[in-house]
Amino acid sequence: MARKRGGLEMDAPDVPVAPMLDMAFQLLTFFVLTYRPAPVEGQFMMNLLPPQPVTAEAAAATEAAATNDLPATLRTLPVVLRADDQGRLAQINIAEFDVSDDPKALAAELDHQLLDPDAPFDQTLIKVDPNLRYSELMTIINAFTDAFIRAKKEPKLSFDELRAGDGA
Amino acid sequence: MSGAAISKEKAEPNLTPLLDIVFQLITFFMLVINFANDNYDQRINLPDAGSARPVEDDSRIAQDRLVLNVDSEGRMLKGDRILGIDEAAQAIRHEADLVKLGLRTSGVKFDSAVDTLPTTIILRADKETTFGAVLGIIKACQSQGFRKFALKAMIRS
Repeated sequence: MARKRGGLEMDAPDVPVAPMLDMAFQLLTFFVLTYRPAPVEGQFMMNLLPPQPVTAEAAAATEAAATNDLPATLRTLPVVLRADDQGRLAQINIAEFDVSDDPKALAAELDHQLLDPDAPFDQTLIKVDPNLRYSELMTIINAFTDAFIRAKKEPKLSFDELRAGDGA
Repeated sequence: MSGAAISKEKAEPNLTPLLDIVFQLITFFMLVINFANDNYDQRINLPDAGSARPVEDDSRIAQDRLVLNVDSEGRMLKGDRILGIDEAAQAIRHEADLVKLGLRTSGVKFDSAVDTLPTTIILRADKETTFGAVLGIIKACQSQGFRKFALKAMIRS
């Protein structure tokens, strides 16, 4: 196409678009083939301290008594999780109350313990059977997190290994 | 135009809108592609947990985090290497030494007996592994001064 401008005839530049399109399609193919949707991962953030020796706990309790604060041992809700031979959850003990492995009973008992204004619990120590499957433990962590949120408390969880004779 | 006098003009389809669309698609895929997923080992099947919090500010802890992948057998995966508990403890000690060195270099006083490391351990454990195996890794981290842990799970209600 010729244009007439200022008495001069100018040809419009004929840019070849096809090679650019070829390259663009190649790039598109690459990105489509390598695209992998990012998994929706979440996380439970926690501060896990190593289990303290009994003498250290006693010292902390003495120190807390002097300041009229409840010692950590009294503010901690003790929980025991036992596994069966397959690694599945077999028994849950919350403050020595057996809730079997029923999720509804677990939620009800947690609400009872955490929503009670007279109950001093603001953290929990979960003693876990080493053979318990991680997925089962996460189910429990999930239930505890929900319960802490319902009680409008910051979820504070810690773990320890269940040894023979613990929570019997 | 008669049939005898056939025009020799070339057909020139307008490719510009097509090119626009293709460039938009390329831009989309470039933005959503996740190059930072190298640490997220696809061999790990994370457990499900509806209450797990989404990672809100990943960039804030990006510098101060250590991702540990634990497979269904309770072994730690580091790249192509599969580490038993002793090798895993050694690798964690090595990482802790690097963090401590970084702290010293930046002028932060660090006492191994009292202070804790600022690094967050991102623990990605397979749902089929046992608590005992995970606890072994956690204890190895605790013994080196790590206290902050993030247990990963898939957000599914």
